[in-house]
Amino acid sequence: MTLASIATETGVSAGDQWVTVPAAQIREAITAARAEGYDFFGFITCVDHLGRDDGGRPPYSGAGEAESPRFEIVYQLRDLSRRRQLRIRAFLPPQDPVIDSVHDFYGPANWDEREVWDLFGVRFQGHPELTRILLPDDWVGHPLRRDFPVGGDPVDFSQEHEEWQTAPRRA
Amino acid sequence: MADGTKTRLSEPAAEPASPQPSGMTISRDPAHEGGDTILTINFGPHHPSTHGVLRLVVDLDGEVVTRVKPVIGYLHTGIEKTAEALRWQQVVTVTDRHDYLSPLFNNLSYALAVEKLIGVEVPPRAQALRVIMNELCRISSHMIWLGTSGLEMGAISMLWYCLRERDKVLDLNEEISGFRMHTSYIRPGGVSADATPRFLEMCSRFVDEYPKSIDEYEDLLSENPIFKLRTQGIGYLSQEDALRLGQTGPMLRGSGVDWDLRKNAPYSGYEKYDFETAVEDAGDCYARYRVRIKELREATRIIRQALDTLPDGPVNVDDRKMLPPPREELDTSMEALIHHFKLFTEGYSPPVGDSYAAVESGHGENGCYIVSDGTHKPRRVKFRSASFVNLQSTERMALGGMVADMIAIIGTIDAVMGDVDR
Repeated sequence: MTLASIATETGVSAGDQWVTVPAAQIREAITAARAEGYDFFGFITCVDHLGRDDGGRPPYSGAGEAESPRFEIVYQLRDLSRRRQLRIRAFLPPQDPVIDSVHDFYGPANWDEREVWDLFGVRFQGHPELTRILLPDDWVGHPLRRDFPVGGDPVDFSQEHEEWQTAPRRA
Repeated sequence: MADGTKTRLSEPAAEPASPQPSGMTISRDPAHEGGDTILTINFGPHHPSTHGVLRLVVDLDGEVVTRVKPVIGYLHTGIEKTAEALRWQQVVTVTDRHDYLSPLFNNLSYALAVEKLIGVEVPPRAQALRVIMNELCRISSHMIWLGTSGLEMGAISMLWYCLRERDKVLDLNEEISGFRMHTSYIRPGGVSADATPRFLEMCSRFVDEYPKSIDEYEDLLSENPIFKLRTQGIGYLSQEDALRLGQTGPMLRGSGVDWDLRKNAPYSGYEKYDFETAVEDAGDCYARYRVRIKELREATRIIRQALDTLPDGPVNVDDRKMLPPPREELDTSMEALIHHFKLFTEGYSPPVGDSYAAVESGHGENGCYIVSDGTHKPRRVKFRSASFVNLQSTERMALGGMVADMIAIIGTIDAVMGDVDR
Protein backbone atom coordinates (compact mmCIF):
# COMPACT_ATOMS: atom_id res chain seq x y z
CA MET A 1 0.00 0.00 0.00
CA THR A 2 1.35 3.40 -0.84
CA LEU A 3 1.26 6.33 1.49
CA ALA A 4 -0.89 8.27 -0.96
CA SER A 5 -3.60 5.62 -0.83
CA ILE A 6 -3.71 5.73 2.98
CA ALA A 7 -3.53 9.49 3.34
CA THR A 8 -6.78 11.37 3.83
CA GLU A 9 -5.17 14.74 3.23
CA THR A 10 -1.79 16.04 2.17
CA GLY A 11 -0.31 19.47 2.13
CA VAL A 12 2.58 21.78 2.82
CA SER A 13 2.84 23.86 5.97
CA ALA A 14 5.54 26.55 5.99
CA GLY A 15 7.50 24.52 3.47
CA ASP A 16 7.15 21.20 5.31
CA GLN A 17 5.48 18.28 3.57
CA TRP A 18 2.79 16.55 5.58
CA VAL A 19 0.14 13.88 5.24
CA THR A 20 -2.78 13.05 7.48
CA VAL A 21 -3.58 9.39 7.96
CA PRO A 22 -6.37 7.66 9.89
CA ALA A 23 -5.10 6.80 13.35
CA ALA A 24 -6.12 3.18 12.94
CA GLN A 25 -3.81 2.82 9.95
CA ILE A 26 -0.71 4.40 11.42
CA ARG A 27 1.37 1.23 11.17
CA GLU A 28 0.50 0.79 7.50
CA ALA A 29 1.33 4.45 6.92
CA ILE A 30 4.71 4.16 8.63
CA THR A 31 5.47 0.98 6.67
CA ALA A 32 4.63 2.79 3.44
CA ALA A 33 6.68 5.84 4.43
CA ARG A 34 9.68 3.66 5.17
CA ALA A 35 9.30 1.98 1.80
CA GLU A 36 9.42 5.44 0.23
CA GLY A 37 12.73 6.14 1.97
CA TYR A 38 11.70 7.91 5.15
CA ASP A 39 13.61 5.57 7.41
CA PHE A 40 15.37 8.05 9.65
CA PHE A 41 13.64 9.09 12.81
CA GLY A 42 13.05 12.71 13.72
CA PHE A 43 10.64 12.81 16.60
CA ILE A 44 7.17 11.87 17.72
CA THR A 45 5.11 14.35 19.62
CA CYS A 46 1.56 15.31 20.35
CA VAL A 47 -0.43 18.52 20.06
CA ASP A 48 -3.47 19.13 22.20
CA HIS A 49 -6.11 21.01 20.22
CA LEU A 50 -8.45 21.45 23.16
CA GLY A 51 -10.68 24.49 22.89
CA ARG A 52 -9.67 25.72 19.48
CA ASP A 53 -12.06 28.30 18.09
CA ASP A 54 -13.06 25.86 15.41
CA GLY A 55 -14.46 23.44 17.96
CA GLY A 56 -11.20 21.65 18.52
CA ARG A 57 -10.89 20.79 14.89
CA PRO A 58 -7.71 22.18 13.42
CA PRO A 59 -8.18 23.62 9.94
CA TYR A 60 -5.72 21.19 8.36
CA SER A 61 -7.15 18.00 9.82
CA GLY A 62 -8.23 15.24 7.51
CA ALA A 63 -11.68 14.01 6.73
CA GLY A 64 -12.97 10.67 7.94
CA GLU A 65 -11.64 11.15 11.43
CA ALA A 66 -13.36 11.00 14.78
CA GLU A 67 -16.06 13.60 15.36
CA SER A 68 -14.00 16.17 17.19
CA PRO A 69 -10.37 15.14 17.38
CA ARG A 70 -8.43 16.62 20.23
CA PHE A 71 -4.99 15.06 20.11
CA GLU A 72 -2.79 15.21 17.07
CA ILE A 73 0.11 12.77 17.00
CA VAL A 74 2.94 14.06 14.83
CA TYR A 75 5.63 11.84 13.32
CA GLN A 76 8.53 13.76 11.80
CA LEU A 77 10.56 11.51 9.50
CA ARG A 78 13.59 12.08 7.37
CA ASP A 79 14.91 10.58 4.16
CA LEU A 80 18.69 10.86 4.36
CA SER A 81 19.50 9.84 0.80
CA ARG A 82 17.01 12.19 -0.88
CA ARG A 83 17.36 14.89 1.79
CA ARG A 84 13.70 15.46 2.41
CA GLN A 85 11.37 15.34 5.36
CA LEU A 86 7.83 14.17 5.93
CA ARG A 87 5.39 14.84 8.71
CA ILE A 88 2.67 12.28 9.35
CA ARG A 89 -0.32 13.38 11.39
CA ALA A 90 -2.96 11.26 13.05
CA PHE A 91 -5.88 12.61 15.04
CA LEU A 92 -7.29 11.04 18.18
CA PRO A 93 -10.52 11.63 20.10
CA PRO A 94 -10.61 13.31 23.52
CA GLN A 95 -11.71 10.19 25.39
CA ASP A 96 -9.17 7.42 25.88
CA PRO A 97 -6.80 8.30 23.06
CA VAL A 98 -5.05 5.16 21.82
CA ILE A 99 -2.81 4.60 18.83
CA ASP A 100 -0.59 1.74 17.74
CA SER A 101 3.04 1.89 18.77
CA VAL A 102 5.71 2.17 16.09
CA HIS A 103 8.67 1.43 18.36
CA ASP A 104 9.68 -1.57 16.24
CA PHE A 105 10.10 0.62 13.14
CA TYR A 106 12.23 3.28 14.78
CA GLY A 107 14.40 2.61 17.82
CA PRO A 108 14.08 6.04 19.43
CA ALA A 109 10.28 5.97 19.07
CA ASN A 110 10.32 3.99 22.30
CA TRP A 111 11.24 6.96 24.46
CA ASP A 112 9.25 9.46 22.44
CA GLU A 113 6.09 7.40 22.86
CA ARG A 114 6.73 7.10 26.55
CA GLU A 115 7.16 10.86 26.70
CA VAL A 116 3.85 11.43 24.90
CA TRP A 117 2.13 9.01 27.28
CA ASP A 118 3.72 10.76 30.24
CA LEU A 119 2.91 14.32 29.23
CA PHE A 120 -0.30 13.88 27.20
CA GLY A 121 -1.80 10.60 28.36
CA VAL A 122 -2.01 9.09 24.90
CA ARG A 123 -1.61 5.32 25.05
CA PHE A 124 0.47 3.43 22.52
CA GLN A 125 -0.81 -0.05 21.95
CA GLY A 126 1.93 -2.64 21.72
CA HIS A 127 4.59 -0.55 23.41
CA PRO A 128 6.84 -2.83 25.47
CA GLU A 129 7.05 -0.59 28.51
CA LEU A 130 4.65 2.32 28.50
CA THR A 131 5.59 3.99 31.76
CA ARG A 132 6.28 7.54 32.80
CA ILE A 133 9.66 8.75 31.65
CA LEU A 134 10.15 12.37 32.67
CA LEU A 135 7.80 12.69 35.62
CA PRO A 136 7.80 10.68 38.85
CA ASP A 137 5.86 7.42 38.84
CA ASP A 138 3.27 8.68 41.29
CA TRP A 139 2.42 11.82 39.36
CA VAL A 140 -1.27 12.39 38.75
CA GLY A 141 -2.33 13.81 35.41
CA HIS A 142 -0.60 14.66 32.18
CA PRO A 143 0.84 18.15 32.35
CA LEU A 144 1.13 19.07 28.67
CA ARG A 145 -2.61 18.74 28.23
CA ARG A 146 -4.08 22.17 27.78
CA ASP A 147 -6.43 21.77 30.75
CA PHE A 148 -3.53 21.16 33.14
CA PRO A 149 -2.72 24.57 34.62
CA VAL A 150 0.74 26.04 34.82
CA GLY A 151 1.77 26.05 38.45
CA GLY A 152 -1.05 23.68 39.32
CA ASP A 153 1.06 21.63 41.65
CA PRO A 154 1.55 22.78 45.23
CA VAL A 155 5.18 23.27 46.26
CA ASP A 156 6.23 22.07 49.68
CA PHE A 157 7.96 24.78 51.63
CA SER A 158 9.40 24.06 55.01
CA GLN A 159 7.51 26.98 56.49
CA GLU A 160 4.17 28.45 55.72
CA HIS A 161 4.12 31.58 53.66
CA GLU A 162 2.44 33.73 56.29
CA GLU A 163 4.84 32.68 58.96
CA TRP A 164 8.10 33.58 57.33
CA GLN A 165 6.79 36.94 56.20
CA THR A 166 6.15 38.16 59.72
CA ALA A 167 9.04 39.32 61.84
CA PRO A 168 10.17 36.83 64.48
CA ARG A 169 8.65 37.39 67.88
CA ARG A 170 11.02 38.82 70.47
CA ALA A 171 11.71 36.59 73.41
CA MET B 1 -2.09 27.37 52.18
CA ALA B 2 -3.11 28.64 55.59
CA ASP B 3 -4.90 25.53 56.76
CA GLY B 4 -2.04 23.36 55.63
CA THR B 5 -4.05 21.35 53.15
CA LYS B 6 -2.55 20.83 49.76
CA THR B 7 -4.92 20.69 46.82
CA ARG B 8 -4.52 20.78 43.11
CA LEU B 9 -6.03 23.66 41.23
CA SER B 10 -7.82 21.21 39.00
CA GLU B 11 -8.34 17.57 39.64
CA PRO B 12 -7.30 15.78 36.48
CA ALA B 13 -9.82 13.43 35.00
CA ALA B 14 -9.46 9.78 35.79
CA GLU B 15 -6.85 8.48 33.46
CA PRO B 16 -6.83 5.20 31.59
CA ALA B 17 -4.77 2.65 33.38
CA SER B 18 -1.26 2.08 32.16
CA PRO B 19 -1.05 -1.24 30.34
CA GLN B 20 1.68 -2.28 32.74
CA PRO B 21 2.28 -1.35 36.32
CA SER B 22 4.31 1.80 36.49
CA GLY B 23 7.78 0.43 36.35
CA MET B 24 10.57 2.92 36.72
CA THR B 25 11.33 1.49 40.10
CA ILE B 26 14.08 -0.99 39.73
CA SER B 27 13.75 -4.70 39.95
CA ARG B 28 14.62 -5.74 43.43
CA ASP B 29 13.56 -9.21 42.54
CA PRO B 30 16.03 -11.70 43.99
CA ALA B 31 14.94 -14.32 41.50
CA HIS B 32 16.63 -12.52 38.63
CA GLU B 33 17.29 -14.84 35.72
CA GLY B 34 21.01 -14.59 36.34
CA GLY B 35 20.66 -15.90 39.86
CA ASP B 36 23.21 -14.74 42.36
CA THR B 37 25.93 -13.98 39.86
CA ILE B 38 24.20 -10.87 38.49
CA LEU B 39 24.75 -7.70 40.45
CA THR B 40 22.45 -4.77 39.79
CA ILE B 41 23.94 -1.39 40.56
CA ASN B 42 22.79 2.18 40.27
CA PHE B 43 25.17 4.17 38.14
CA GLY B 44 24.27 7.68 39.16
CA PRO B 45 22.18 9.81 39.41
CA HIS B 46 24.79 11.66 41.41
CA HIS B 47 27.87 10.06 39.97
CA PRO B 48 30.25 12.80 38.83
CA SER B 49 30.74 11.20 35.44
CA THR B 50 27.08 11.26 34.48
CA HIS B 51 27.13 14.91 33.35
CA GLY B 52 24.24 16.00 35.43
CA VAL B 53 21.76 13.58 36.86
CA LEU B 54 21.63 10.56 34.62
CA ARG B 55 20.88 7.31 36.36
CA LEU B 56 21.76 4.04 34.72
CA VAL B 57 20.64 0.79 36.22
CA VAL B 58 23.34 -1.61 35.24
CA ASP B 59 23.35 -5.39 35.56
CA LEU B 60 26.83 -6.75 36.00
CA ASP B 61 28.13 -10.25 35.57
CA GLY B 62 31.46 -9.84 37.26
CA GLU B 63 32.66 -6.69 35.54
CA VAL B 64 30.82 -7.32 32.29
CA VAL B 65 27.73 -5.25 31.59
CA THR B 66 24.72 -7.41 30.75
CA ARG B 67 21.94 -4.83 30.83
CA VAL B 68 21.72 -1.05 30.93
CA LYS B 69 18.57 0.86 31.63
CA PRO B 70 18.79 4.63 31.58
CA VAL B 71 16.44 6.38 33.99
CA ILE B 72 15.91 10.02 33.19
CA GLY B 73 13.70 12.86 34.28
CA TYR B 74 15.60 14.20 37.26
CA LEU B 75 16.08 17.57 35.57
CA HIS B 76 12.60 17.84 34.09
CA THR B 77 11.49 21.44 34.41
CA GLY B 78 8.47 21.53 32.13
CA ILE B 79 10.12 23.84 29.64
CA GLU B 80 7.59 23.05 26.92
CA LYS B 81 4.70 23.82 29.24
CA THR B 82 6.38 27.05 30.27
CA ALA B 83 6.80 28.02 26.62
CA GLU B 84 3.06 27.66 26.02
CA ALA B 85 2.42 30.32 28.64
CA LEU B 86 4.83 32.83 27.11
CA ARG B 87 4.46 35.10 24.12
CA TRP B 88 6.27 34.17 20.92
CA GLN B 89 9.15 36.56 21.51
CA GLN B 90 9.50 35.54 25.16
CA VAL B 91 10.01 31.86 24.39
CA VAL B 92 13.56 32.68 23.28
CA THR B 93 14.61 32.92 26.91
CA VAL B 94 13.58 29.35 27.68
CA THR B 95 15.34 28.02 24.60
CA ASP B 96 18.57 29.25 26.19
CA ARG B 97 18.10 27.23 29.26
CA HIS B 98 17.12 23.66 28.60
CA ASP B 99 20.38 22.79 26.86
CA TYR B 100 22.75 24.98 28.79
CA LEU B 101 25.73 24.07 26.60
CA SER B 102 24.12 25.09 23.33
CA PRO B 103 21.89 28.08 23.96
CA LEU B 104 22.64 29.64 20.59
CA PHE B 105 21.75 26.52 18.63
CA ASN B 106 18.38 26.36 20.32
CA ASN B 107 17.85 30.09 19.86
CA LEU B 108 18.50 29.57 16.19
CA SER B 109 16.26 26.54 15.75
CA TYR B 110 13.39 28.35 17.45
CA ALA B 111 14.00 31.55 15.49
CA LEU B 112 14.15 29.64 12.21
CA ALA B 113 10.91 27.83 12.98
CA VAL B 114 9.08 31.07 13.78
CA GLU B 115 10.52 32.85 10.75
CA LYS B 116 9.55 29.92 8.56
CA LEU B 117 5.97 30.08 9.83
CA ILE B 118 5.71 33.84 9.39
CA GLY B 119 7.58 33.72 6.10
CA VAL B 120 10.33 36.27 6.66
CA GLU B 121 14.03 35.97 5.96
CA VAL B 122 16.62 37.78 8.02
CA PRO B 123 19.18 40.09 6.36
CA PRO B 124 22.57 38.68 5.31
CA ARG B 125 24.49 40.34 8.12
CA ALA B 126 22.23 38.73 10.71
CA GLN B 127 22.69 35.36 9.03
CA ALA B 128 26.48 35.71 9.13
CA LEU B 129 26.40 36.77 12.78
CA ARG B 130 24.20 33.79 13.55
CA VAL B 131 26.72 31.49 11.90
CA ILE B 132 29.60 33.05 13.83
CA MET B 133 27.79 32.73 17.14
CA ASN B 134 26.70 29.18 16.39
CA GLU B 135 30.22 28.06 15.61
CA LEU B 136 31.52 29.79 18.74
CA CYS B 137 28.85 27.95 20.67
CA ARG B 138 29.97 24.69 19.08
CA ILE B 139 33.47 25.40 20.33
CA SER B 140 32.31 26.16 23.86
CA SER B 141 30.06 23.08 23.89
CA HIS B 142 32.84 20.80 22.67
CA MET B 143 35.20 22.37 25.19
CA ILE B 144 32.99 21.26 28.05
CA TRP B 145 32.69 17.82 26.48
CA LEU B 146 36.45 17.47 25.96
CA GLY B 147 37.31 18.82 29.37
CA THR B 148 34.94 16.66 31.34
CA SER B 149 35.51 13.53 29.25
CA GLY B 150 39.25 13.96 29.56
CA LEU B 151 38.88 14.47 33.28
CA GLU B 152 36.86 11.29 33.65
CA MET B 153 39.43 9.28 31.75
CA GLY B 154 42.29 10.48 33.90
CA ALA B 155 43.52 13.49 31.94
CA ILE B 156 42.71 15.98 34.68
CA SER B 157 44.59 18.85 33.08
CA MET B 158 42.23 18.76 30.07
CA LEU B 159 39.52 20.42 32.10
CA TRP B 160 41.67 23.43 32.88
CA TYR B 161 42.88 23.83 29.32
CA CYS B 162 39.37 23.57 27.95
CA LEU B 163 37.79 25.90 30.47
CA ARG B 164 40.49 28.43 29.62
CA GLU B 165 39.39 28.51 25.97
CA ARG B 166 35.72 28.29 26.83
CA ASP B 167 36.10 31.41 28.92
CA LYS B 168 37.28 33.28 25.87
CA VAL B 169 34.13 32.24 24.02
CA LEU B 170 32.04 33.37 26.98
CA ASP B 171 33.85 36.71 26.84
CA LEU B 172 32.81 36.98 23.21
CA ASN B 173 29.21 36.18 24.17
CA GLU B 174 29.36 38.90 26.77
CA GLU B 175 30.79 41.41 24.34
CA ILE B 176 28.13 40.89 21.70
CA SER B 177 25.03 40.27 23.81
CA GLY B 178 25.79 41.34 27.36
CA PHE B 179 25.40 37.84 28.76
CA ARG B 180 27.94 35.11 29.13
CA MET B 181 25.80 31.99 28.95
CA HIS B 182 22.09 32.52 28.42
CA THR B 183 22.51 35.08 25.72
CA SER B 184 19.10 35.05 23.97
CA TYR B 185 21.14 36.60 21.19
CA ILE B 186 19.39 35.03 18.22
CA ARG B 187 15.74 36.01 18.10
CA PRO B 188 12.95 35.59 15.59
CA GLY B 189 13.55 38.32 13.06
CA GLY B 190 17.27 38.75 13.55
CA VAL B 191 19.70 39.13 16.38
CA SER B 192 19.47 41.22 19.52
CA ALA B 193 22.40 43.53 18.76
CA ASP B 194 24.90 44.26 16.05
CA ALA B 195 28.50 43.17 16.48
CA THR B 196 30.69 45.85 17.98
CA PRO B 197 34.10 46.61 16.41
CA ARG B 198 35.63 45.29 19.62
CA PHE B 199 33.76 42.00 19.20
CA LEU B 200 35.03 41.59 15.66
CA GLU B 201 38.57 42.26 16.79
CA MET B 202 38.32 39.89 19.78
CA CYS B 203 36.74 37.21 17.64
CA SER B 204 39.37 37.56 14.95
CA ARG B 205 42.15 37.24 17.53
CA PHE B 206 40.46 34.21 19.07
CA VAL B 207 40.14 32.46 15.72
CA ASP B 208 43.81 33.08 15.00
CA GLU B 209 44.97 31.74 18.34
CA TYR B 210 42.55 28.89 18.78
CA PRO B 211 44.05 26.30 16.37
CA LYS B 212 47.17 26.32 18.55
CA SER B 213 45.01 25.31 21.50
CA ILE B 214 43.52 22.45 19.48
CA ASP B 215 47.09 21.29 18.79
CA GLU B 216 47.69 21.34 22.53
CA TYR B 217 44.68 19.13 23.20
CA GLU B 218 45.78 16.74 20.51
CA ASP B 219 49.31 16.64 21.94
CA LEU B 220 47.83 15.66 25.27
CA LEU B 221 45.27 13.12 24.10
CA SER B 222 45.46 11.93 20.51
CA GLU B 223 48.52 9.73 20.91
CA ASN B 224 48.25 9.30 24.65
CA PRO B 225 48.45 5.51 25.24
CA ILE B 226 46.16 5.57 28.28
CA PHE B 227 43.55 7.63 26.47
CA LYS B 228 43.72 5.38 23.42
CA LEU B 229 43.41 2.24 25.53
CA ARG B 230 40.31 3.64 27.14
CA THR B 231 38.65 4.76 23.93
CA GLN B 232 39.80 2.68 20.97
CA GLY B 233 37.46 -0.20 20.29
CA ILE B 234 35.29 0.88 23.23
CA GLY B 235 31.63 1.69 22.79
CA TYR B 236 31.39 0.39 19.25
CA LEU B 237 28.31 1.51 17.34
CA SER B 238 27.93 0.17 13.83
CA GLN B 239 26.64 2.26 10.98
CA GLU B 240 23.38 0.31 10.83
CA ASP B 241 22.81 0.66 14.55
CA ALA B 242 23.55 4.38 14.46
CA LEU B 243 20.97 4.88 11.73
CA ARG B 244 18.42 2.57 13.32
CA LEU B 245 18.77 4.32 16.65
CA GLY B 246 18.32 7.72 15.03
CA GLN B 247 21.68 9.03 16.18
CA THR B 248 22.73 12.45 14.97
CA GLY B 249 25.75 14.65 15.18
CA PRO B 250 29.16 13.28 16.15
CA MET B 251 27.54 9.99 17.18
CA LEU B 252 26.37 9.39 13.61
CA ARG B 253 29.45 10.78 11.90
CA GLY B 254 31.71 8.79 14.22
CA SER B 255 30.04 5.67 12.80
CA GLY B 256 30.82 6.57 9.24
CA VAL B 257 27.63 8.27 8.06
CA ASP B 258 28.28 11.52 6.25
CA TRP B 259 25.29 13.47 7.50
CA ASP B 260 25.55 17.03 8.68
CA LEU B 261 22.59 19.40 8.52
CA ARG B 262 24.92 22.28 7.77
CA LYS B 263 25.85 20.54 4.51
CA ASN B 264 22.79 18.47 3.73
CA ALA B 265 20.00 20.84 4.73
CA PRO B 266 21.78 24.19 4.89
CA TYR B 267 20.25 26.97 6.94
CA SER B 268 21.30 30.52 7.73
CA GLY B 269 23.69 30.67 4.78
CA TYR B 270 25.94 27.73 5.69
CA GLU B 271 26.11 26.77 2.02
CA LYS B 272 28.29 29.84 1.41
CA TYR B 273 31.16 28.62 3.56
CA ASP B 274 33.84 26.17 2.61
CA PHE B 275 34.22 23.49 5.25
CA GLU B 276 34.38 19.73 5.54
CA THR B 277 32.18 17.45 7.58
CA ALA B 278 34.12 15.35 10.02
CA VAL B 279 33.47 11.67 9.39
CA GLU B 280 35.25 8.71 10.96
CA ASP B 281 34.50 5.08 10.18
CA ALA B 282 35.66 3.30 13.32
CA GLY B 283 32.44 3.85 15.32
CA ASP B 284 34.17 3.75 18.70
CA CYS B 285 34.77 6.37 21.36
CA TYR B 286 38.07 7.37 19.79
CA ALA B 287 36.37 8.00 16.44
CA ARG B 288 33.85 10.28 18.10
CA TYR B 289 36.72 12.10 19.78
CA ARG B 290 38.40 12.56 16.36
CA VAL B 291 35.14 13.83 14.87
CA ARG B 292 34.75 16.49 17.53
CA ILE B 293 38.36 17.60 17.31
CA LYS B 294 37.97 18.01 13.57
CA GLU B 295 34.74 19.92 14.08
CA LEU B 296 36.63 22.36 16.27
CA ARG B 297 39.09 23.02 13.46
CA GLU B 298 36.31 23.38 10.90
CA ALA B 299 34.44 25.73 13.24
CA THR B 300 37.41 28.10 13.30
CA ARG B 301 37.56 27.95 9.50
CA ILE B 302 33.89 28.85 9.21
CA ILE B 303 34.20 31.72 11.68
CA ARG B 304 37.23 33.06 9.82
CA GLN B 305 35.36 33.02 6.49
CA ALA B 306 32.28 34.57 8.04
CA LEU B 307 34.35 37.35 9.61
CA ASP B 308 36.14 38.05 6.34
CA THR B 309 32.95 38.19 4.31
CA LEU B 310 30.71 39.80 6.92
CA PRO B 311 28.25 41.91 4.91
CA ASP B 312 27.11 45.35 5.98
CA GLY B 313 23.53 46.24 6.58
CA PRO B 314 20.79 45.80 9.14
CA VAL B 315 20.71 42.86 11.56
CA ASN B 316 16.94 42.66 11.86
CA VAL B 317 14.07 42.27 9.49
CA ASP B 318 12.34 45.52 8.68
CA ASP B 319 8.95 44.40 9.91
CA ARG B 320 7.26 46.60 12.49
CA LYS B 321 4.69 43.91 13.21
CA MET B 322 7.43 41.64 14.50
CA LEU B 323 10.19 43.79 15.94
CA PRO B 324 9.97 47.11 17.77
CA PRO B 325 10.88 50.30 15.90
CA PRO B 326 14.16 52.08 16.72
CA ARG B 327 14.02 54.31 19.78
CA GLU B 328 14.45 57.57 17.80
CA GLU B 329 11.30 56.93 15.80
CA LEU B 330 9.16 56.78 18.93
CA ASP B 331 9.64 60.51 19.50
CA THR B 332 8.38 61.55 16.09
CA SER B 333 6.14 58.85 14.68
CA MET B 334 2.70 58.02 16.01
CA GLU B 335 2.66 54.79 14.05
CA ALA B 336 5.94 53.67 15.59
CA LEU B 337 4.47 54.32 19.01
CA ILE B 338 1.44 52.19 18.21
CA HIS B 339 3.59 49.35 16.90
CA HIS B 340 5.77 49.55 19.98
CA PHE B 341 2.75 49.48 22.26
CA LYS B 342 1.15 46.57 20.45
CA LEU B 343 4.33 44.53 20.46
CA PHE B 344 5.03 45.00 24.14
CA THR B 345 1.47 44.50 25.34
CA GLU B 346 0.25 41.80 23.02
CA GLY B 347 3.13 40.57 20.90
CA TYR B 348 2.77 39.19 17.42
CA SER B 349 0.81 36.23 16.11
CA PRO B 350 2.18 33.94 13.40
CA PRO B 351 -0.41 32.50 11.02
CA VAL B 352 -2.17 29.25 11.90
CA GLY B 353 -0.02 26.27 11.08
CA ASP B 354 3.08 24.47 12.20
CA SER B 355 6.72 24.33 11.23
CA TYR B 356 9.84 22.44 12.14
CA ALA B 357 13.37 23.77 11.89
CA ALA B 358 16.48 21.84 12.81
CA VAL B 359 20.07 22.92 13.28
CA GLU B 360 23.27 20.94 13.67
CA SER B 361 24.23 21.56 17.27
CA GLY B 362 27.28 20.27 19.05
CA HIS B 363 25.28 17.21 20.08
CA GLY B 364 23.39 16.54 16.85
CA GLU B 365 20.09 17.57 15.37
CA ASN B 366 18.49 20.03 17.74
CA GLY B 367 15.18 21.09 16.35
CA CYS B 368 12.14 23.05 17.26
CA TYR B 369 8.60 22.18 16.24
CA ILE B 370 6.06 24.91 16.79
CA VAL B 371 2.33 24.98 16.34
CA SER B 372 0.48 28.27 16.10
CA ASP B 373 -3.26 28.63 16.55
CA GLY B 374 -3.11 32.23 15.43
CA THR B 375 -2.85 33.74 18.89
CA HIS B 376 0.04 35.60 20.49
CA LYS B 377 1.16 32.53 22.43
CA PRO B 378 2.31 29.23 20.95
CA ARG B 379 -0.11 26.32 21.01
CA ARG B 380 2.80 23.90 21.26
CA VAL B 381 6.57 24.17 21.32
CA LYS B 382 8.43 20.89 21.05
CA PHE B 383 12.19 20.72 21.30
CA ARG B 384 13.69 17.83 19.39
CA SER B 385 16.67 17.11 21.55
CA ALA B 386 19.66 15.30 20.12
CA SER B 387 20.78 14.26 23.60
CA PHE B 388 17.44 12.57 24.29
CA VAL B 389 17.75 10.39 21.20
CA ASN B 390 21.49 9.79 21.39
CA LEU B 391 21.26 8.61 24.98
CA GLN B 392 19.17 5.64 23.87
CA SER B 393 22.19 4.04 22.25
CA THR B 394 23.89 3.62 25.63
CA GLU B 395 22.73 0.04 26.05
CA ARG B 396 23.74 -0.94 22.52
CA MET B 397 27.25 0.36 23.09
CA ALA B 398 27.78 -0.79 26.64
CA LEU B 399 26.54 -4.39 26.42
CA GLY B 400 29.32 -6.89 26.76
CA GLY B 401 31.83 -4.27 27.80
CA MET B 402 33.39 -3.55 31.15
CA VAL B 403 31.69 -1.32 33.67
CA ALA B 404 34.64 1.07 33.55
CA ASP B 405 34.02 1.58 29.83
CA MET B 406 30.66 3.06 30.67
CA ILE B 407 32.49 6.23 31.68
CA ALA B 408 34.01 6.63 28.25
CA ILE B 409 30.72 5.77 26.56
CA ILE B 410 28.64 8.26 28.52
CA GLY B 411 31.36 10.82 27.96
CA THR B 412 31.38 10.49 24.19
CA ILE B 413 27.60 10.46 23.89
CA ASP B 414 27.86 14.00 25.25
CA ALA B 415 24.28 14.09 26.45
CA VAL B 416 23.26 17.22 28.30
CA MET B 417 20.75 16.13 30.89
CA GLY B 418 18.97 19.46 30.91
CA ASP B 419 18.20 18.87 27.24
CA VAL B 420 17.24 15.22 27.76
CA ASP B 421 14.73 16.03 30.48
CA ARG B 422 13.65 19.49 29.32
